[in-house]
Amino acid sequence: MNRKPYIRKQSPTWWVNKPFYRFYMLREASSVPVFLYGLFLLWGLLSLSQGEASFAAWMEMAGSPASSIFHVIVLAAALLHAYTWFQLTPKIVVLRLGKFRVPDQWVMAAHYLIFVIVSAVIIGSSIN
Amino acid sequence: MTTMTERNMKIRVTRYRPEQDDKPWDQEFEVPFNRDSSILEILGYIKDNLEPSLSYRWSCRMAICGSCGFMINGEPKLGCKTFIRDYVDAGEIHIASLDNFPIERDLVADISGFVEKLETIKPYIIREEEKPLEDGEYLQTPEELEKFKQFSQCINCGLCYAACPQFGRNPEFLGPAALALAFRYNQDGRDEGNQERMPFLNAEEGVWSCTFVGYCSEVCPKHVDPAAAINQGKLASNIDYGLNLVGLAGGKK
Repeated sequence: MNRKPYIRKQSPTWWVNKPFYRFYMLREASSVPVFLYGLFLLWGLLSLSQGEASFAAWMEMAGSPASSIFHVIVLAAALLHAYTWFQLTPKIVVLRLGKFRVPDQWVMAAHYLIFVIVSAVIIGSSIN
Repeated sequence: MTTMTERNMKIRVTRYRPEQDDKPWDQEFEVPFNRDSSILEILGYIKDNLEPSLSYRWSCRMAICGSCGFMINGEPKLGCKTFIRDYVDAGEIHIASLDNFPIERDLVADISGFVEKLETIKPYIIREEEKPLEDGEYLQTPEELEKFKQFSQCINCGLCYAACPQFGRNPEFLGPAALALAFRYNQDGRDEGNQERMPFLNAEEGVWSCTFVGYCSEVCPKHVDPAAAINQGKLASNIDYGLNLVGLAGGKK
């Protein structure tokens, strides 16, 4: 039999036309600002190791308007990342207690609860 | 007797005839439909009345054989379970062969690679030692069944593969349905074949090629949720890796 199947190659823009794929790409892209923020904190740590003047300069830079905009973007990315991750957790965390299966909403709620508690503790301790 | 007035819909079908065509092309049809017309029925109408050379696969007409998967306006769907009435606002319907698979002819996708993957993961109950027939069945409780029942509802239609960009990028990826089925047998209390399947799950082409896009679960006509199975499989793969590291799983790495 003479076969000639037509093979398509995935285009680099495969994700552009479908909202589901676009949101997935946004979710994945949210890791980039979070990564940059990691570098930003490492920079601060490096400044600290180089003495008071260096750290004071970093602190001043961290308070600049450009840095504030950067922080807002990072916060938005981190929240999106957390939200999408919490949405997925019930698919992976399947808890059974005998015949009882812990509902998906409980698994998600537990994540949000811990998130709120940890955030409150960190924000609370940084205010004092 | 018809209680519905018939209307017309513009149907655009992506065709590919390997003898004549170098690449796919679109052909348009005007097709009458009523409230009950499915995509599959419309394709039957085209073949019977307008274009006898049109090729497509179908069998049961009731979402159980898994043969009539197409891209319908860009989404992987079963032709028998998708109705023209839901596309009236769209104004036209574009039907094409399932994404990510080679096109054999017109709307017929070549899914042989997918079928081979299904075989790879040994989708049957493996026992270390078979019980003699006279000893009866391998029993399981409803709670044990509950652990994998959802993942056993797959009809091998391939919609999840058409939905998966990782499979589109790398056809070697075992993909949603095969990995969900592997997970289904690993969860089965009667099965003792985990260590024969784990090497396929652990591999680069196994669960770790999945980035949890999640569109496979979105398009699944049987609500199998392959994304959940694969990502629970990642957990199982991690545990297996850990056990092998300390020499407890006793399996091939």
